Amino acid sequence: MWGAVRRNYLAGTLSVIGGLVLWEVVSRYLIANALLLAAPSEILRAIYRLTLSGEMGRHVAVSSAEFAIGYAIASVIGIGLGFGMANSPTFRQALQPWISGLYATPTIALAPLFILWLGIGIWSKVLVVITLVLFPVTINTEAGLRHTSDRLIEMLRSFGANRRQIFVKVSLPSALPFILAGLKLGIGRGLIGVVVAELFGARAGLGELISASADSFNMPELFAAVVVLAVAGIAMTAAFTWLETKLVPWTKD
Amino acid sequence: MARKLDISSLGKRFGALEALCGIDVEVERGEFICVVGPSGCGKTTLLRIVAGLEPATSGTILLDGKRVDGPGRNRGFVFQNDSLLPWRTVLANALIGPEVAGRVGAKERQRTLELLNLVGLGGFEHYYPRQLSGGMRQRVNLARALAIDPDVLLMDEPFAALDAQTREIMQSELLRIWEQGRKTVLFVTHQIDEAVFLADRVLVLARRPGRLQETVRIKLPRPRQLDVKRKPEFVDYVDHIWRLIEHDVRASVIDERQ
Repeated sequence: MWGAVRRNYLAGTLSVIGGLVLWEVVSRYLIANALLLAAPSEILRAIYRLTLSGEMGRHVAVSSAEFAIGYAIASVIGIGLGFGMANSPTFRQALQPWISGLYATPTIALAPLFILWLGIGIWSKVLVVITLVLFPVTINTEAGLRHTSDRLIEMLRSFGANRRQIFVKVSLPSALPFILAGLKLGIGRGLIGVVVAELFGARAGLGELISASADSFNMPELFAAVVVLAVAGIAMTAAFTWLETKLVPWTKD
Repeated sequence: MARKLDISSLGKRFGALEALCGIDVEVERGEFICVVGPSGCGKTTLLRIVAGLEPATSGTILLDGKRVDGPGRNRGFVFQNDSLLPWRTVLANALIGPEVAGRVGAKERQRTLELLNLVGLGGFEHYYPRQLSGGMRQRVNLARALAIDPDVLLMDEPFAALDAQTREIMQSELLRIWEQGRKTVLFVTHQIDEAVFLADRVLVLARRPGRLQETVRIKLPRPRQLDVKRKPEFVDYVDHIWRLIEHDVRASVIDERQ
């Protein structure tokens, strides 16, 4: 068994290393045009340079703040709306068309409008993140609470449990995996929101770094920002997966 | 002996379907009653009405002379599927009854641990349901019902999902546990041999509408071991009950095929 696990890791690692080598070779010898593609080694140097000058830190700090504030607000409101919808059929009926409609809408297209309203500071980006993260969290919370097993509810009812006890002891824990899945979905959407909103106009942030690098054909710095974003996304998703194994281990069978 | 449970002219309709009609049963304290019948005879519905999970359409149920009109802590329900909470340990699952009642102290904890020992789960308190076999999960299910120290134990085909060997073991285990406290038990099953092995009296239900066809008193001596199943009297009881429901069972099989 462990042999198989090690083999799988080996395949993954070799694939990544192979890809990087190929990239390096292609960008050095085949394309060999610094205006179109940067080699991994150049990107690493760019990251190092930007970090040392403090510029990377400034961009990361701004983007992180936008993401964190928007994500936190969306999570709180989303879980709250999900609870409300699960508990009141009328509330659900009233909200359902809006939630479904806005979930399917690429609300990121509203970013220019938000910038007009709120300026090019962080709050327009926070609002974009909220509109992207809110809906998956709401939908998953509501679905999770609604899909509580009838058998488990009945079991609790047979012991004379009241509605509140059923909610706390059964509905909530059984909705937790759904809520976490919604929050996990929100990470990727939120990151996209931050970057794209910054492309439309910002004073700082990783999106702004990408936009400025593209304007000056500075490929290494453009890729540097992309790599930092990719690492952030991977790290947050991995942290969430770890959190799931800790919080809802019963779903991992 | 005092009468524990008094079911009189009980009826239940689901729309146009008459699930139960005119059920009259008197159960003595400490009696082990099994209910058998073909599928669709309303045996589970009867149990659920006694549990208070389902309202009756007509008739009354008296428990210790008091009318039953909802779930209560004087009845413990053992479910067909174990209905264990996957995020709780064995001990936390077994404690759900006292917890709902708002009293989980050292005393309840101690008592529940003793019950887990009694059902053969000593040492498994901190396991999660997914780490247990089907038979062990049903032991937790039983301990959970016993943890509220109910007057009546209601069991809904609790061994139906188990394999044949495990089922036999669980039947004799249940009798061993029952001999400790001699609670009043209402046990629903579709297995005739299970009913004869466990019961003081077997209620045989007929279908469409679900009604009481015959009550068979099982006069096999207690405590019973599994080898009683090979005795001629045992086989006679099984044959007798099978003949009572054979026609209905064949009819229900044809119904299900259509």
